[in-house]
Amino acid sequence: MSWDWDVIIKYYPKLLDGALLTLELVLISGFIGVALAVPTALARVSPNRLISTLPFCFIYFFRGTPLLIQIFLIYYGASQFEAIRESSLWPILKEPYWCAIIAFSLNTAAYSAELFRGAIQAIPRGELEAADAFGMSWFKKTRRIVLPRAFGIALPGYGNEVVLMLKSSALASTITLLDLTGMARTIQARTYTPVELFTAAGVIYLVMAALVIGLFRMMESYFNRYQYYKPPIDPLGVEKQ
Amino acid sequence: MSDSSIALELVDIHKSYGNLEVLKGVSLQAKDGDVISILGSSGSGKSTLLRCINLLEKPASGRVVISGEELLLKPGKNDELEAANRKQLESMRSRIGFVFQNFNLWPHKTILNNIIEAPMQVLGHSKEQAVKRAETLLKKVGLYEKKDAYPGNLSGGQQQRIAIARALAMDPQVLLFDEPTSALDPELVNEVLSVMRELAEEGRTMLIVTHEMRFAREVSSQVVFLHQGQIEEIGPPEQVFDNPKSQRVRDFMSSHV
Repeated sequence: MSWDWDVIIKYYPKLLDGALLTLELVLISGFIGVALAVPTALARVSPNRLISTLPFCFIYFFRGTPLLIQIFLIYYGASQFEAIRESSLWPILKEPYWCAIIAFSLNTAAYSAELFRGAIQAIPRGELEAADAFGMSWFKKTRRIVLPRAFGIALPGYGNEVVLMLKSSALASTITLLDLTGMARTIQARTYTPVELFTAAGVIYLVMAALVIGLFRMMESYFNRYQYYKPPIDPLGVEKQ
Repeated sequence: MSDSSIALELVDIHKSYGNLEVLKGVSLQAKDGDVISILGSSGSGKSTLLRCINLLEKPASGRVVISGEELLLKPGKNDELEAANRKQLESMRSRIGFVFQNFNLWPHKTILNNIIEAPMQVLGHSKEQAVKRAETLLKKVGLYEKKDAYPGNLSGGQQQRIAIARALAMDPQVLLFDEPTSALDPELVNEVLSVMRELAEEGRTMLIVTHEMRFAREVSSQVVFLHQGQIEEIGPPEQVFDNPKSQRVRDFMSSHV
């Protein structure tokens, strides 16, 4: 076969547009996902069954079904209900862009919530007892001790979740969105150069993944610095100001 | 009221884990400035008793009174008592310092931030005020130069001294020590005991669960010997250590001192 560089050079601005949409989808659903995951995880660890059952069902559904089905259910399913078509939500739910965001947000929220639940439960009990013994309220203990501590524990795992989400976002192309994968598919349908275009798209995914991984490395070495910190060598015992 | 000099009063504390009754009605009184050591073999209920005072463990029955204020309790799940009023529990806990066997410092916060956390969040102190007090306490326990380090960089003895400073930062009415030196290497025990000895000499009211017999004899105003969830003997150290009435205490002392 012949390798056609020209098609890559000609279309790479288009592919970058697609990559931008991919990043946008991941970023927005990532933020919404975390915002949903934190209260979900907190409710999930509640000893009260009434509080922990609903998040359990939510997590079970979104972890137990394929993301593609979730996207289809929201994109094709919502329009089947007249109540939705006539509601004020319809301008949002008829847009594939928002359907993808909703599906990705709920999906990553479920996975992240489970991740955060594990992190919260991994905090040594004694650290929480210390907070209790000082008379901290549940809210203060959660805000000052539980969440910051769980954040540090969950961070490496959460970086993994973002990389997975980056790649899962390719499914947005199935509902007409021109994300990186969607763009590559659309162009190759015209040019008949699938190898060149999908290779180029793959390389861009690799670069984006590298950015995400690097970003989380940096966050880890900052937020988990207490695990790495070495006190300055101070042989004379002089107080440092 | 004559109660005003009573810092801590426990009345008929019962506690069970399932069918196992670990506390079978323990009553205890500490006056202001008392240093009470609680001795006994493991499983005698010493730590459980201490943890019932600030409701880290929920007693099955009994009363807890701190400086004349009774902790309001109501029946909860599993035949245990629970706080009737969250706010009151939190306020009483803030006045009881608790030092754990495993220090339980917050590893993600620096030493200074460990100490100023509760005074700022619970007592509402300003940062300036809390830092000033924390620095004084750090000097007192001899670890001022560690204020920007993290707990993981300190030895066990240093961590426990920080934990004591952290408890003192709340200026508690009563200090509870739950086997504060049991997790330490033998050569680190003394640095913690000397801080505690200093506190005893300052006249702080302290309850100490410990296995350090010599220390208990030196600092205590009262010694309590627990056996199978009941007080076997209580009295001044000279009595309990040198001339115990109970044969069981006599045996324990002869094998431990």
